[in-house]
Amino acid sequence: MTPRTAPAGPTQALTDALAAEYAAIWAYGVIGVHLTEAARTAARSAEAAHRTRRDALILQLNDSGAQVPADQAGYALPYPVTDRASALKLAVEIEERTAGHWRAALPHTTGTDRNKALAALTDCAVRATRWRRTAKVTPITVPFPGRPS
Amino acid sequence: MALGGAAVPLTGCELFDGDKPKPPDPLEPLAAEAADLAGRYRAAIAAASTLADRLTPIAGAHQAHADELRRVIGRPAPSGTPAASPTVAATDPDGLLAELRQAEQQARENAAKACAAAPAERAAVLGSVAAARATHLEALK
Repeated sequence: MTPRTAPAGPTQALTDALAAEYAAIWAYGVIGVHLTEAARTAARSAEAAHRTRRDALILQLNDSGAQVPADQAGYALPYPVTDRASALKLAVEIEERTAGHWRAALPHTTGTDRNKALAALTDCAVRATRWRRTAKVTPITVPFPGRPS
Repeated sequence: MALGGAAVPLTGCELFDGDKPKPPDPLEPLAAEAADLAGRYRAAIAAASTLADRLTPIAGAHQAHADELRRVIGRPAPSGTPAASPTVAATDPDGLLAELRQAEQQARENAAKACAAAPAERAAVLGSVAAARATHLEALK
C-alpha cells in the first residue's frame, strides 16, 4: 500500500501526505476497537501522532496558499477488520502506506520541510516495526521503508 | 562531404581532464558505512548464534543499502578502499546488542544528515536508509 504515482510537485506531495494522515486517523478508530491493553494504548498513541502530523500539514499547506482538502466521511477497508489479527494487519499496512507518502514528499522538499517529512517517514516506519512485532510477523523490519514495492 | 557521426568528439573535458581523478561522491562515506555495518552484524552473528534470527534480516538490509548506494553513486568503490572485514568487540549477546545499537544510532544520524543535504533525486533512497536504521534500533531493543 504505497503511492501508485509519484506526486508532480510539493503541493501535491504534501496534499497526498495529508490524505494519508486522514486515512490513518480513521483507520486507527477501527483498529483500536479490536485491541486490548498495551496494544490498544499503542494504537491510541499512534492515532494521536497522526493527528499531530495532520494538523501540522494543514497549517503548512495553508501558509503556502494551497487549497487544503477536507477529510472524507469514511474509507473503504481493504478487508474486514473483525479481530485482533486483522486489526494488527491493518495497522502495519496503514503505517507502510503513510510512510510511502512521506517518502514521496522528500524529493519535493528542502531544508526544514524535508527534515519534517523524514521525521514523519521514520516515525511511520518505526510504528510499522512495532506492529509487526506485536503481530509476531517476521522479519519485523524492511530494508527500504516507504519504497513502492 | 559529411563529417560525421563516427568521429570521436574531442571535448576539452576528455582531452585535458582525463587524468584527474573525479572528486569523491558525497555518498561514499554512507556506502562504506552500510557495508561496514553489514559486516559487523555478520560478525555479531558469528560470535553469538542465538542472535541469528534477529540480526540476519538487519545484516541483509545494510548490505542492500550498500548495494543501492553504490548503484546511485554510479561507479565502483574508490581504489585503495580496504576490503571490509569489520569486527565486534563484545562476545556476549547483551554486549553485542549494545555495541550494534551504538553503531546504528550514529549511522542513523549520518543517513538523516545525508538525506537533508541531498539533491532531490537522492532524497527518497536516503530517507529510506535513515528510516530503516531507526527501525533497526527498535529491533535491537
